[in-house]
Amino acid sequence: MNRSAKLNLVGLLFGAGFGFVLAAANLHEYATIHNMLSLEEFDVFGLMGGAIGVSLPLLWILERRGTRTALGGTLTLARSKPQRHHIVGGALFGIGWALSGTCPAPALVMLASGAGLAIVTVTGLFVGLGLRDAQTSRTNGTATAGDGEHREVVTTSR
Amino acid sequence: MYSALLPDRLPWYIAGPALGLLVVGFFLLTNQPLGATGAYVETARTVRRQTGAVTWRAFYFVGIALGGYIAVQLKDIGFDPRTGYDILVDEGAGNLGLSLPAAAALIFAGAIVMGYGARMAGGCTSGHGICGTAQRSPASWAAMITFMATAVMTTFVINQF
Repeated sequence: MNRSAKLNLVGLLFGAGFGFVLAAANLHEYATIHNMLSLEEFDVFGLMGGAIGVSLPLLWILERRGTRTALGGTLTLARSKPQRHHIVGGALFGIGWALSGTCPAPALVMLASGAGLAIVTVTGLFVGLGLRDAQTSRTNGTATAGDGEHREVVTTSR
Repeated sequence: MYSALLPDRLPWYIAGPALGLLVVGFFLLTNQPLGATGAYVETARTVRRQTGAVTWRAFYFVGIALGGYIAVQLKDIGFDPRTGYDILVDEGAGNLGLSLPAAAALIFAGAIVMGYGARMAGGCTSGHGICGTAQRSPASWAAMITFMATAVMTTFVINQF
């Protein structure tokens, strides 16, 4: 199996793992997100804190040890300074998140669990992402890839 | 009769660390973070057969739905055809009682703003909120604090109706 096929398989499996956990924790239910954002239920904040609490120290240790990853060279973490687009984009994202009661990954789980209106959410997400991409290409800019998104990895050792 | 393999709701203190381990495991294999916004973007690019599309992100996109489908099958409730937006469309205390078209319009508008904002910020709840913060990126922490704040404020407004 070549590298690209391995990456596809890993992507599918980790996607399935991510979707499985989101569904198991009921993050695909409108009520779960609504109760969280109404500050009536602590669970989702705890969930996010638990995810960060486990991954942050582990990634830190792996980075310090200069760990070699299986398919992407030496493990490198991305750290950017906050800029205006992070804040403005984040503010808009939060408003949309509250209105639609779900975020990008749970929206797919919502749809897969039988929620009919989630097709509207997923379609709207594609439209919104496309609008931003169209805008950045008109201004000859490049769409922003944040520190949690895909980046090109230099696989040769430096 | 058989008993469901999954509880109705897996507790946060199991689900949270499990997501954290998936993020670390994915880094160990690919040296990449697991943001969902990028999965949408690359799925759109893959479907259009654009050059340079990151196909594994499209596989990741399909995987999320697949994993979610499997998980609900292992619960008592199973695959459950419904609107998914009871609080918006149902009548009754604490609900908005919107018509289906009105609810769909609200959700659509919300999703467009969410997608636009996620692309502008360069990530969403998984990209900035988990993967970026776990990399100790100040930009991701700033984005997460901002979207948490505006989401709570927006929900406060919704709850006034």
